Amino acid sequence: MATREAGKKMIMLKSPDGMEFEVEEAVAMESQTIRKMIEDDCADTAILIPNINSKILSRVIEYCNKHVPTTGATGAAASDTVAPAALAEDLKIWDAEFIKVNRATRFNLIQAASYLNIKGLLDLTSQTTIDTISDNSLEEIRSFLSTKNDYLPEEEQTIRRENQWAFQ
Amino acid sequence: MPPPQEGKRAALARGEDIIGVLPEDLLQHVLSFLPAQQAVRTCVLARRWRDLWKSVAGLRITGGQESEVTPVQELREFVNHLLLLRCGAPIDTCELRFAVVSDDNVPRVSLWIRHIILCQVRLLRLDISRDGYGVYFYVDNLPLASQHLRRLELIDTGLNDSFLDFACCPALEDLVIINGCFVHVRKISSESLKRLAIIDSSFNQHSRTRIYAPSLVSVRLEDNWDRTPVLESMPSLKAAFIRFIKESVDRCFYSDSWDCHNEDCQGCYDLQAVNSHDSVLLKGLSEAENLTLIDEHDTFIFRRDLMWCPIFSKLKTLLLNECWCVPDDFHALACILEHSPFLEILTLHFFSKGPNHKVEIKGGCNAVESSAAISKHLKAVEVKCNSVDAELLKILKFLGTLNIFATQLVYLLTYNVSIMVYNYLLGPSDSS
Repeated sequence: MATREAGKKMIMLKSPDGMEFEVEEAVAMESQTIRKMIEDDCADTAILIPNINSKILSRVIEYCNKHVPTTGATGAAASDTVAPAALAEDLKIWDAEFIKVNRATRFNLIQAASYLNIKGLLDLTSQTTIDTISDNSLEEIRSFLSTKNDYLPEEEQTIRRENQWAFQ
Repeated sequence: MPPPQEGKRAALARGEDIIGVLPEDLLQHVLSFLPAQQAVRTCVLARRWRDLWKSVAGLRITGGQESEVTPVQELREFVNHLLLLRCGAPIDTCELRFAVVSDDNVPRVSLWIRHIILCQVRLLRLDISRDGYGVYFYVDNLPLASQHLRRLELIDTGLNDSFLDFACCPALEDLVIINGCFVHVRKISSESLKRLAIIDSSFNQHSRTRIYAPSLVSVRLEDNWDRTPVLESMPSLKAAFIRFIKESVDRCFYSDSWDCHNEDCQGCYDLQAVNSHDSVLLKGLSEAENLTLIDEHDTFIFRRDLMWCPIFSKLKTLLLNECWCVPDDFHALACILEHSPFLEILTLHFFSKGPNHKVEIKGGCNAVESSAAISKHLKAVEVKCNSVDAELLKILKFLGTLNIFATQLVYLLTYNVSIMVYNYLLGPSDSS
C-alpha cells in the first residue's frame, strides 16, 4: 500500500512466502525493475516480488537502504563522484561485511540482483564469487564449477592448441 | 522467473555446484569478473564453455595479481589474439591495468583502446602506469568518438585537449580522473557529462584549464596540484566537493591576497592569458544545493573569488573548514553566508579533519531576532573541532553576532569539561 510517512513516499514489497516489507520509494527505486514499475504507475498497491523469498528480499532491501543516495547534514553528497572518500570507504567495508554469506545465499542474491536489476549488488556478488576462485588453477575452476569435461582427449588438445596464446 | 529446474534443485540441496546452476546469462556476467586470461582458459572446461569467452561482456586485461602490475610486453600477444578473435563482440565493461615500460608499446596500446571503443564499450577504465615517477601514459591526441561510452575512469594518464573534447561522446555521463596530467590541457569539454571527479592530478603552473560541462550534477575537485581549473557555468549542479590539501601555485608568498604588487610572485602574477576579473570556482558553483569547500593550504582561490561572490540561490547545506574563519578574520565566512539566502545547514570543521572529531557543538538561529546577514531558513549549525580553546570561542562569538547560538556541546572522547566554558556557549543571555 502506498502510504506517506514523514513526507516520504512508501512502497510495499511482498515476497512469495507472504511477508510484506514497507520501504521508502527512493530505496525501492535502487532496483531498476521496481523503478520502471513505479514510473509506469504499476505500484499503487503492494508489489509482489516473485521467486525471491523473504530472507533474501530482506537482505536486498538492507543493501538498497545502505546504498540509496543521501544528502547528510555534513554535506556528504548525493553521488559516488562527490561522496567523500571516507564515505566510499565506509561503504566498501560495509559491502565486504554484507557479502560474508554462504554460497547458496550468494547464489540467491545474484539471481535476485539480476531480476531486480540492481547493478551494484549484481557486481558485488559476482566479484565476490570470482574472488573465491580467481587465484586458482584451471582444474580448480573446473571443480568449483562442477563442470564435467565432455571433450574427447584429442578434442581438448585441439582446443588448447587453438587457444595456445591464452595458456602461456 | 520460472522455478529452478529439478537438477538445479538437487544440486543446491547437495550444496555443490552453486555457480554451475546459474542461468547462462548470469554465468556470463559472473565470468566477466575473471581476469581475461582465465576467462579465455575456460574454453577447455567442457563443450558448452568452448566459445563462451568470446561473448563475455566484461574484459579485465590486468595481468597478474591485484598487488603487482604486469609489463605490457608480457600481455601483448595475448591481447592481440583476444581482441581479434572476439570479432568485435560488444563489450560492456573494460579494464586495462598494466605497465608500459617502453615508448615503443604506446601506439599499440592506443590502438587497443580505439578497438575497445569500437566494440561499444560503456564503462572503460584505464590504469596504465609508466616506469618512473611523474611519467604518464599519454593517450592519443585524437578525439574519442563513441555513442555508447557512459563512464570513463583514467588513472595515471597523461591527457590532451583532443581526447578531453567529448563532443563525439554524447552518452558520456561519468568521468573520473585520478593522478591525471593536465599540463597540456586547456579545456575539458562535454555537453553530456553529469558527474566529474578530478583527484590527485597535476595541472599547468602557468595557465588554467577550463572545465566546460553544462550538464554537471556533481563535481569533485580534490587534492590537485598547480593552477586550479576554472569552472564554467553549470546550471544543473546539485553538489560539489572542493578540497585543497597540496601546496598549490595559487598561493601568495608575500601577502594574504592574490595581488601582492610583487611582480616576482609566482602565485599572483606568473599566469598567462587570464582575465584577472574572472571567478575561478565560486561562480561555476553558484547553482549548487550542497557545497563542501575545504582549503588546508592557504590557497587564495576562495578569498579571491569572493570579490565577485555570486548569490548561492539554491544552497541548502554548506561545509567549510577553518580557512574561512581564522580568527580574527571572519570576512570570508560572513560573505558566503550573506550570499546564501536559503542555507539550511552550516557545518564548520575547525582544525579537525574528521571523520573522528573530538568535539561537536550544535547550534541554531535565535528565531526572535533574525539577522539580515544570514539565511532565514538556517536550521542547524554544527562546529566540529578537537578542543575548546580561545580561537574557537572567538568563532562562537562571531556566530553570536549573526544570532547563531550553541545549544549543545558534545564531547565525543572523554574530555574534562569546564563548566565555565560550557556556560559561555549557551544561549544569548550568556554570550554578552
